[in-house]
Amino acid sequence: MLVALVDTRKDFEDLSSTYLLVAIAVFAVVALGCLFSLLRFRAGRRGSPSRGEEPAWLPFAYGGLLAAVIVVLLVLTFSAQDRISAKADRPGLRVDVTAAKWNWRFDYPAEGISQIGGDTRPTVLVVPSDTDVRFRMTSIDVIHSFWIPHVRFKRDAFPKRYTEFDLSFSGTGYHTAGRCAEFCGLKHDQMTFNVEVMSPADFRAWVARKRSEVP
Amino acid sequence: MSTIAAPRGGSLMATLASTDHKRVALRVMATALLFFLAGGVLALLIRAELYSPGYQLVGQDRYNEIFSMHGSTMIYLFVVPLALAIGAYFVPLQVGAAEIALPRLALLGWWLLVGGGITMWMGWFTQNGPGDTGWTAFDPLSDANHSPGDGMYLWIFGVMLATVSGLLLATCVLGTVVRRRAPGMTMLRLPVFTWSMLVTCLLVIVGFPVLLVAMSLLFVEREWGGVFDGSGGPINYQNLFWFYGHPVVYVMFFPFVGAVGEVIATFSRRRFFGYRAHVGALLLFSALSTSVWAHHMFATGQVTVKYFSLMSTGLIIPAGIEYLDLLGTMWGGRIRFGVPMAFAVGFILQFLIGGLSGVYVASPPLDYHVHDSYFIVAHFHYTLFAGSLFAFFAAFYYWWPKVTGCFLRTGLGWLHFALLTIGANLTFFPMFFFGYDGMPRRVADYSSEFTDLNRASSIGAAFIALAVLAWIANVVVSVARRESAPADPWGGHTLEWATSSPPPRHNFSDPLPPIRSFAPLLDARQRASEERAG
Repeated sequence: MLVALVDTRKDFEDLSSTYLLVAIAVFAVVALGCLFSLLRFRAGRRGSPSRGEEPAWLPFAYGGLLAAVIVVLLVLTFSAQDRISAKADRPGLRVDVTAAKWNWRFDYPAEGISQIGGDTRPTVLVVPSDTDVRFRMTSIDVIHSFWIPHVRFKRDAFPKRYTEFDLSFSGTGYHTAGRCAEFCGLKHDQMTFNVEVMSPADFRAWVARKRSEVP
Repeated sequence: MSTIAAPRGGSLMATLASTDHKRVALRVMATALLFFLAGGVLALLIRAELYSPGYQLVGQDRYNEIFSMHGSTMIYLFVVPLALAIGAYFVPLQVGAAEIALPRLALLGWWLLVGGGITMWMGWFTQNGPGDTGWTAFDPLSDANHSPGDGMYLWIFGVMLATVSGLLLATCVLGTVVRRRAPGMTMLRLPVFTWSMLVTCLLVIVGFPVLLVAMSLLFVEREWGGVFDGSGGPINYQNLFWFYGHPVVYVMFFPFVGAVGEVIATFSRRRFFGYRAHVGALLLFSALSTSVWAHHMFATGQVTVKYFSLMSTGLIIPAGIEYLDLLGTMWGGRIRFGVPMAFAVGFILQFLIGGLSGVYVASPPLDYHVHDSYFIVAHFHYTLFAGSLFAFFAAFYYWWPKVTGCFLRTGLGWLHFALLTIGANLTFFPMFFFGYDGMPRRVADYSSEFTDLNRASSIGAAFIALAVLAWIANVVVSVARRESAPADPWGGHTLEWATSSPPPRHNFSDPLPPIRSFAPLLDARQRASEERAG
């Protein structure tokens, strides 16, 4: 079965712009309603305040309108959720992620290589572009969270538990930042990693070079 | 009756042991507001440290203690007790009761809050410092291996004492609504604010015991281990914590939206619009609020995200009805735009930003990115600070003449409002952007790309500090040079305005007016004007 690549960034951007539009529209309506009321119904104008009460149907009609908005938002949310939580039958690359206070380790089991950082040198996650990458993640101590803002995705890493998810990185050749997002103690703010996205050919060359370095 | 245990006068004993619900509530409020100032100083330290990337003022270790104690202080020791104290003061008055139910229990609630606050803050004097695992203290970070030291124990005990305090105060307020209503005050004639307190108390009784369980288990985990090592693992702590943690969000919201409802109705000179819908919305809110806790846990990958997304997004319905009622009350009124009304409108618009960003993060694909980023910090500060705190100030300027018998100064009030509006938005709005762009919460250092917006945010915090000083100045001036307030300075709708300012020991010296709706004083005025006209 051919499944489209999980594209968390695109799904996020599409969904986010819809939600943002709805939010701005609602804010505008309420703000204008307040402004209009404060001007039109200010004290000192002629007449006494209205004694009108809410007609019984109003909350139900209005609740129905809100329910319709909810249905639209949730249909969009659920379909995006299904797309980004899909897993490929045959991922193009497997990366094992190990989080620890306060660093990251990335192992490539099929390639037999590992990326390990140091105190002053964040670990580099190297991935081929436009490829389904299957991450399998755990933590050796407390809860951490694997966040790559560029792909608009994070997932927590729990001790004694493996979490799997697929990501893909579109475009060729760029660096971006990743980091721990779940507060994990003293040096949480330094628990970063770098992401290097390569074209598949460059990635193969990088793997070969890495393997030749291993004694 | 509690008259035996109520020494008269202003002696120290009277201050510490009076069971008059008004005095108990004022002491809880004063205690909560002291913790607000203390937590606010911590917030200023946070914003000072974040004025530039790198470590300059407090450094990594202290910073973690400071943000943890800021959040813990503001939630456990400030907003929750404040919300319940407003209820303990005004619910007996609004239902026409001479006394709160179980007054000695309410007094104990204040004592436990004082004890809990001191216990938590004593952590600063321990070797490893106070609790430093956020206001949430997730296991295993909060276990004995990862967070050794007495400060963490003191934090746990402090939270437990404050939580029991909240339970006791809520019990008293709830008991007053159930058992102490004046003749004629049926459940559907309870004032708007009292209904919001009633539902608040229900949520306290549902949620707070679960926090006590979570804290007890955390204590056992630290002492003997083995609690969160089972098949579920540490996620179980989060389930327990957020089962308290989401209802408490409404404990910190309902009383304030209820108070704003009173302010808007009074200042619009119009009966609160959609009373029954308001009651229904509160009940729907509270029903949903027990089924939304795992929206704090979408990024764990261990919860059924669609169910919790459905329930959380469903909160749009009760929230939308509350907004319809507030705007509907203004619509057609004759609005006096005084300081309480300004804060109330500030609440409506700013809380809306918090609410709409809440709809946004109720969508898991969006939450995966912004969760634990500054976007979330912006979201909940718009609900709690730019929302609930603005509503508190609306209530403060509205009810201060009732409580003290004197007016606050209008000029200082407008200065307070202007500074706080600038400060709140300048501090919290930029956080949406640098959070979205990738700055996580709970960090002392950050990438230099976020510097400019962080500076703006820190400057905003200085405006907030000035606003708080203007508020304190207003209180001091108003007490020092009293401008006496009558029993009903605003043309209020509810029974607290049918007694002297401040109310006597047993609240009402004159017979109560007839209670035929949730706004008995408005009824009386409307009848009088009809008689004049007819």
